[in-house]
Amino acid sequence: MLYTDAAVIGAGVLGCFTARALTELEISVTVIEEKEDVCTGITRANTGIIYTGCDNRPGSRKAAMCVKANREFDQLARGLDVRFSRCGSVMAAFGPRGEDVLRRKYRQGLSNGVPGLRLLSRDELAEAEPLLSRDAVLGLYAPGTGTVEPWELGIAAFENASANGALFRLNEKVIHMERSGSRFILETDRETILARTVINCAGLSADAVREMLRVPAVRIFPTGADYIVLGDSLKGQIRHVIFHEPEEKRKGLTIVPAVDGSILAGPTERSADLAPEGATCAEGLEELRKLCAEVVPDLPLTEQIRTFSALRPNPRSVQRENGRWVPVDHSIRDFLILNEDGLISLIGIKTPGLTCAAELGRFCASLAAGALSGPGRNRHFNPRRTGIPRVHEMKENDRAALIRTDPDFGEIVCQCHDVTAGEIREAIRRGAVTPDGVKRRTGAGMGVCQGCRCISRVQAMLTGMRKNAPQTDSPGHSGTEKPEERHGIY
Amino acid sequence: MEYTDILVIGGGAAGMAAALAASEAGRRVLLCEKEDRPGGILNRCTHRGFGRAFLGRDLTGQEYAGFFAERLYKSAAEVRTGVTVLSLSQDRTALLSGRKGLFRIKFRFCILAAGCLEKTPGSLGIPGTRPAGVLTAGTAQLLENTDGLIAGYRPVILGSGDVGLIMARQFAESGREVVALIEQKDQVGGLLRNRRECLEPYRIPVLLHTAAVEILGRDRITGVRIRDLETGFTRILHCDTLITAAGLIPDRTLCRDLMPAGRLPDWLRLCGNCESIHDIVDSVTREAMALGASLGQEAPRK
Repeated sequence: MLYTDAAVIGAGVLGCFTARALTELEISVTVIEEKEDVCTGITRANTGIIYTGCDNRPGSRKAAMCVKANREFDQLARGLDVRFSRCGSVMAAFGPRGEDVLRRKYRQGLSNGVPGLRLLSRDELAEAEPLLSRDAVLGLYAPGTGTVEPWELGIAAFENASANGALFRLNEKVIHMERSGSRFILETDRETILARTVINCAGLSADAVREMLRVPAVRIFPTGADYIVLGDSLKGQIRHVIFHEPEEKRKGLTIVPAVDGSILAGPTERSADLAPEGATCAEGLEELRKLCAEVVPDLPLTEQIRTFSALRPNPRSVQRENGRWVPVDHSIRDFLILNEDGLISLIGIKTPGLTCAAELGRFCASLAAGALSGPGRNRHFNPRRTGIPRVHEMKENDRAALIRTDPDFGEIVCQCHDVTAGEIREAIRRGAVTPDGVKRRTGAGMGVCQGCRCISRVQAMLTGMRKNAPQTDSPGHSGTEKPEERHGIY
Repeated sequence: MEYTDILVIGGGAAGMAAALAASEAGRRVLLCEKEDRPGGILNRCTHRGFGRAFLGRDLTGQEYAGFFAERLYKSAAEVRTGVTVLSLSQDRTALLSGRKGLFRIKFRFCILAAGCLEKTPGSLGIPGTRPAGVLTAGTAQLLENTDGLIAGYRPVILGSGDVGLIMARQFAESGREVVALIEQKDQVGGLLRNRRECLEPYRIPVLLHTAAVEILGRDRITGVRIRDLETGFTRILHCDTLITAAGLIPDRTLCRDLMPAGRLPDWLRLCGNCESIHDIVDSVTREAMALGASLGQEAPRK
């Protein structure tokens, strides 16, 4: 049996930031994640946009959190050593409906306190984004919009939380939860965990986790989304995040210049039933290509390197009808954070959830602190984390010096992004157990060849290192448990 | 800074032949190969058919690579393995990275023999899941012929070019069932000899006018939905592997930033599959030899 003050269920970007915020308190923190690695669920399939807050209604929790989070994002990214590109965004309208929406968002942004917003004429828009269709009539420029790699942000929070003492238990699933006096009893598929407060960050399963203890009130009704990724040969051709505001009532196209140089087009909005979880759907991709041809006709879709899909967790209130729980209303628009007697649930957190991840984590930690009747501050908390060296971004002299001290950093494994054996070794040491885990931590396999050329070497390194894995050298070595029990990764 | 007359990037068939010829013409030659031995893609090719035209012998890819590697090491050309060229600059220098360090080298000419990239399953954009077991022919060759692993037991092969035909034979001759070779066009591609040697003896089912329209399976691929392009009918082929052999693209990433006017600088030459995709290695060798020899003879510039 394991005793912990706070148990976090789910290690996506929200779970990781919640854990990080909890380690600022003088309490024990345990994170339980079903999968073999962190950030493999909703976090993995995301546009990676850091929003400004002009899309959210004044007075909403989303607006307040988003504006604050955006303002503080440079500092957060610097502290966690995460790549963040504040490229700005242009929203483009193609007719009267779109123009109305833009003007409304402009006013809304001003009243939310979003800095630097400006309406762009047709010519200014064309100058800002040469590939954008000339049919666009009005633009809304938001200099504060940025992009990150969502998993990079989540993994950074995981490593920092870990280093500050949070215990991450991977490959472990909560199957039952009950309340006994002031404690929660969590039965997992490995052991029993006693916790004083539980923070439910279980993503698409957050409603099911909550219902282990409570009567259904809100359920997640996912919709599907498809994306296309174009290779970095087009780097620089898209300068800002482009939001397309369609004339018809449907989801517009978003185009994102990602921090690694690739370009993301998507998402569509379609029924989740059209394709199984994790699968793209032909109609969705076709729709996306059609939209691209309208909005950015000169963007060469022939540079496509992959497609992927995501599920959007839409929370809706439910009530009982003829023995079934049915939705009674549209999707709940604001962030839904329930605090039910020490069980804190984040249900259906979607856009701008990634932007607000640190804010949401802090908010959950403050609720947890209340449930734990005001614990003290952790005086040893260190907000800084150093990432894996990004060798190909280093200056020539520094790079040469690094290779002299450690030849692994000279050996290129991923030809597309010039990722070295040293970086891959470090990713494995920090918890990557699959080629995908290495990919998310280093970018190896994310380029135009999609891992064709490096997968064999990466797999060999994974196999070799897991055989000879160090027993103590892992992030956040703090407790007395054996490492394999803490991380479940060796 | 180190200097060489001719820098050859890539130690595959093209790079080896170009380096050999330039070195025989009396030039100082440095060949950089990213892997730990020269040979390139040839090292993954355990099948025969190499050298029939150029050497008059029927060798495996590995033997063909060995034939030239031996000569290369005996020549005056310097060979550095485990070294990747990171970038080329207009001032005719290259930035190289390897376990021995990061260094710049100055050169008079550069021969880019970086080979080609395969079209990936991702770039094909076949809808469906992204399970394990969907891989390019080149990756399958790498896993099986270099690493000694098994790529799969019941493959569907997508694309009937030479690469697809050779993969079909590789699976079939080791007793594995090739579920089908599928091809969008109305006839099998590839060289006549490959059609004859790879398909007929093994009775591999070939489906023409057929496209893969959906990948099925959660963790590992369990099937491919295919569509008959004439009738529009779809059906599922059950398999545990999908091998894509959908085409090759010259890999010119290194000269991407050197062509502002759409033209290569005069000090840079492309060679082998990096220049254009070749049917047989023999013609790669022949062209590379000619290029190496002609650059070797060009008078020094002032």
